[in-house]
Amino acid sequence: MNFDFAPVWENMPTLLEGTGYTLFIALFSAVLSLVGGMAVALTTLYGKKIFSYPLRFFIWLFMGTPLLLQLYLLYFGLGQVGILIPALLTGILGLGIHYMAYNADIFRATIISIEKGQTEAARSLGFGRMQTLWFFIVPQAIYRALPQLGNNMILMLKDTSVLSVIGVTELVLNAQFEIANTFRPFEFYISVAVIYYILNLILETSLNRFEKKLESRR
Amino acid sequence: MKDQPQVSDKKSAPLMLDIINVKKAFGDLEVLKGIDLQVTRGQIVSIIGSSGSGKSTLLRSINHLETIDSGEIWLDGVRVNQPEMKGMEFERHINSVRQNMGMVFQGFNLFPHLSTLDNIRLAPIKLKGMEKHEATDFCMELLAKVGLQDKADVFPSNLSGGQKQRVAIARALAMQPKVMLFDEATSALDPELVEEVNLVMKQLAREQMTMLIVTHEMSFANEVSDHVLFMDQGVVCEQGPPDQLFSNPKEERTKNFLKKHLQQQ
Amino acid sequence: MDFALMWEITPLLLDAAWITVTISVLSFILGLGVATILVIMRSSAFRIIRWPARIYISVIRGTPFFVQLLIFYYGGSAFGINLEAYTAGLLAIGLNIGAYMSEAIRGSIIAVDKGQNEASRSLGFSRSQTMISIILPQAAGLMIRSLGVLGVIVIKGSSLVSIISVVELTYQSQRIISFTYKPFEVFTVSAAIYLILIYGVISFVDWLYNRYTRYLFH
Repeated sequence: MNFDFAPVWENMPTLLEGTGYTLFIALFSAVLSLVGGMAVALTTLYGKKIFSYPLRFFIWLFMGTPLLLQLYLLYFGLGQVGILIPALLTGILGLGIHYMAYNADIFRATIISIEKGQTEAARSLGFGRMQTLWFFIVPQAIYRALPQLGNNMILMLKDTSVLSVIGVTELVLNAQFEIANTFRPFEFYISVAVIYYILNLILETSLNRFEKKLESRR
Repeated sequence: MKDQPQVSDKKSAPLMLDIINVKKAFGDLEVLKGIDLQVTRGQIVSIIGSSGSGKSTLLRSINHLETIDSGEIWLDGVRVNQPEMKGMEFERHINSVRQNMGMVFQGFNLFPHLSTLDNIRLAPIKLKGMEKHEATDFCMELLAKVGLQDKADVFPSNLSGGQKQRVAIARALAMQPKVMLFDEATSALDPELVEEVNLVMKQLAREQMTMLIVTHEMSFANEVSDHVLFMDQGVVCEQGPPDQLFSNPKEERTKNFLKKHLQQQ
Repeated sequence: MDFALMWEITPLLLDAAWITVTISVLSFILGLGVATILVIMRSSAFRIIRWPARIYISVIRGTPFFVQLLIFYYGGSAFGINLEAYTAGLLAIGLNIGAYMSEAIRGSIIAVDKGQNEASRSLGFSRSQTMISIILPQAAGLMIRSLGVLGVIVIKGSSLVSIISVVELTYQSQRIISFTYKPFEVFTVSAAIYLILIYGVISFVDWLYNRYTRYLFH
């Protein structure tokens, strides 16, 4: 056995830079997956058939295949049709669209779970269909979905690591870059794991606090 | 049997609700078999009957929460159901009609994500374009009226059933409706909470609000109404002033219903 | 769409899918073993036994599976151990999913009404008798559901072992793309295989759950 963490310390700036990218990707993918997920859910529930059927198929397809396969398809597929976008954007799109399907599935279930009486009360006051959705159904659906959405955000943060496979600069790819120079895979990957553990802990604690705070308001 | 509704002292007041030969079926089941009813301004009409008699369906049809199959419903000279209108045109029409009707549900249906005050003032702000501070003052008055001015910032989950229903009444009143529809407003409440809601409704009655009340509380109906309808199997079986209908019913079915109800209490 | 090519590569992809199936099944079984040990450790009366299990679960859940896999495959050299790719992949999936399974099993047991435990103990059943004949049969329904979800996650996660050159479905797809340059055709076939596997498992779990709950309550 021989460990040497000195190369890790020396290359800490690279790892921290990678961490920055990881957080950046996670943030934008999260926004994309949440906003898009709600839009997809609403369209599948209330939209015209030509929109709702393809989107239901999208949810089914993306929940039934691995993330990596979807990333490859995006990566190679975009290349095949001649669309060239920066790797970072490919990563955000790939991860965001993957979790969009999962979030849409959650939103669908929570929207359906809102009692019929809520719609009736809003409509009886004179609110229109869209207003009823916007003021009453969507906010309650989001509230009910929060624990599951939070869980998906935690999974998504960890899944940013997979983006290294399609060449997106983030924590793992930066670590691999230094591993190639120093031949210290164990030390680097353990350090990467520690960083993820800390990020995960922070995310989990803040999500818990946020949920508690919302709950105490009611 | 289906004589014209006779209104004692408010006969000369203008017509507020006019319901003409309304029919409604769920599949093969006919729930409303041609209902006629006229309610004048300031009149308080109670509808009694066993469950399945169609009384709730009638009330919900007036608010267009149920779509009737045939007949006409008029609110203050405006036709509520408009079979010729389609799509967005009808959507706009029904939204504006509903703003003139207050509906109170058995299950309260307060919005759990909004505070008591927001439950009440959201509709006047968003639908009537009322200024926020103006709406706040007005809605605080309504809250005071139902005795809950100290609960403005509380969320519905922290209210008792009786308090929830009083907020729901205030919410409906905030749109300054021409008529209030009560669908078994006290049925879901514990017995000791019924009275506080009844008191609010009695106060509205004193203020000459036009009210249509579906209820299973005979003593309340007797006390508050100008006119009572007894519905059975989708038709108005008997109607008249409360003292006549309750103490001297003519129809056999009315007698049976009232007798059964007395035994239960 | 080049249908001839799709027809041609299907046998190749089916062969690789068999590896996906075996590695998923074996690591699922390994995971069940790990989970059982963790659940027993966590219910121990001694803190010194409970804590290692808690730390293990926290570390596994707090770090990306992908990084764990890289540590297993590339990190072993620091200890003079070099695992074969298939073995490293199998171990990584099994040890990872075991932590999640232990939480699922514990959750199902906790979800059984507390009164059941008290009723059983008041009749004179021992702790273990209560667990085996009263609690577990009731918890099993919920367990089937949550372990089924984890089974699906195992299949999707197994695609990541392609990174350490295990020739399973995703690896094979990527390899075929590298000489045919037809990502859409290849991914259509491999996605179809994944969909059959994943929705097959979901239907099987539903069937098992319905059968079991029918047996339990009728």
